[in-house]
Amino acid sequence: MPYVKRYKDLNTDLDAVYDDIKYELQTGKELNVVKEQDGTVNGVPFRSIFAVRESVPKVLTGTLREATVTITGVADDWLLEVHTGAWFNNLITPATGGLIVAGPLGGLAASGTAAVYAVKFERDLKNRIKEVVRKHSKKPYSEDKVETF
Amino acid sequence: MPFVRRYKDLSTDLDGLYADIVRELQQEKDLEIVKETNGVINDVGIRSVTAIRATVPRAVTGTLREVTVTVAGEPDDWLLELHTGAWFGNMVLPGAGGFLVAGPFGSAAAAGTTTLLAVTYGRKLKNRIKELVKKHSGKKYTEEKIETFIS
Repeated sequence: MPYVKRYKDLNTDLDAVYDDIKYELQTGKELNVVKEQDGTVNGVPFRSIFAVRESVPKVLTGTLREATVTITGVADDWLLEVHTGAWFNNLITPATGGLIVAGPLGGLAASGTAAVYAVKFERDLKNRIKEVVRKHSKKPYSEDKVETF
Repeated sequence: MPFVRRYKDLSTDLDGLYADIVRELQQEKDLEIVKETNGVINDVGIRSVTAIRATVPRAVTGTLREVTVTVAGEPDDWLLELHTGAWFGNMVLPGAGGFLVAGPFGSAAAAGTTTLLAVTYGRKLKNRIKELVKKHSGKKYTEEKIETFIS
């Protein structure tokens, strides 16, 4: 599930935020940046970066498959969207003893403890982006300047 | 939001099906295939293809951003996952006259009437895949052989 945040009145250096996010994606060992888009949409600056999983995973269900980060707007009013995709995430259902995986791939989920799970990756990236936004904003960062959709 | 389908007892040629799905994605001019994954995980075959939008869109909100189709399993028991992602899809709210867009980009959504929307493309591809599954299955296709998982 993607999340979108709107940042207002922060005077953020969006180029620098984008560059730092790109660096985060490039240094993640499981991902490979495959596409960047940079332009304007109806006069509004727009940058988007796509990274996909490099190799066949050891574990399938819930494993990080791709990540997309988009920044659009101007320094004092901009949007950030983060999307992380996972394979067969909606086959995972919570149960008393943990998670049950439906379908013929049940064994695959349990076997891999070293997999990069999308949910964990997204949480880590979200926290890292928060630091990056603070670093590159000239005005004080406060939660009331941020709206989450 | 991705959807997953489990197909049983169809004796499906998964290689043939996958190749036709890749062809479908290649034929869409707004898309560019960036990754194919083909391998085996714990003895289960998996094939996955990801295509992303080739260019900066004219309109952002709801425009198709990427598509991933994955086929995993064996001819008589396999899974299909279809994911279509849209930019800022969760800022689009249904309204009386169509859609309302929250945030500073309302006009960006309204301006692009010819844009390839994720919801439209996902529906079209889903229907096309249904035809392809029938084409590549050695046994009769019936709805009770299919289970859909939507979270």
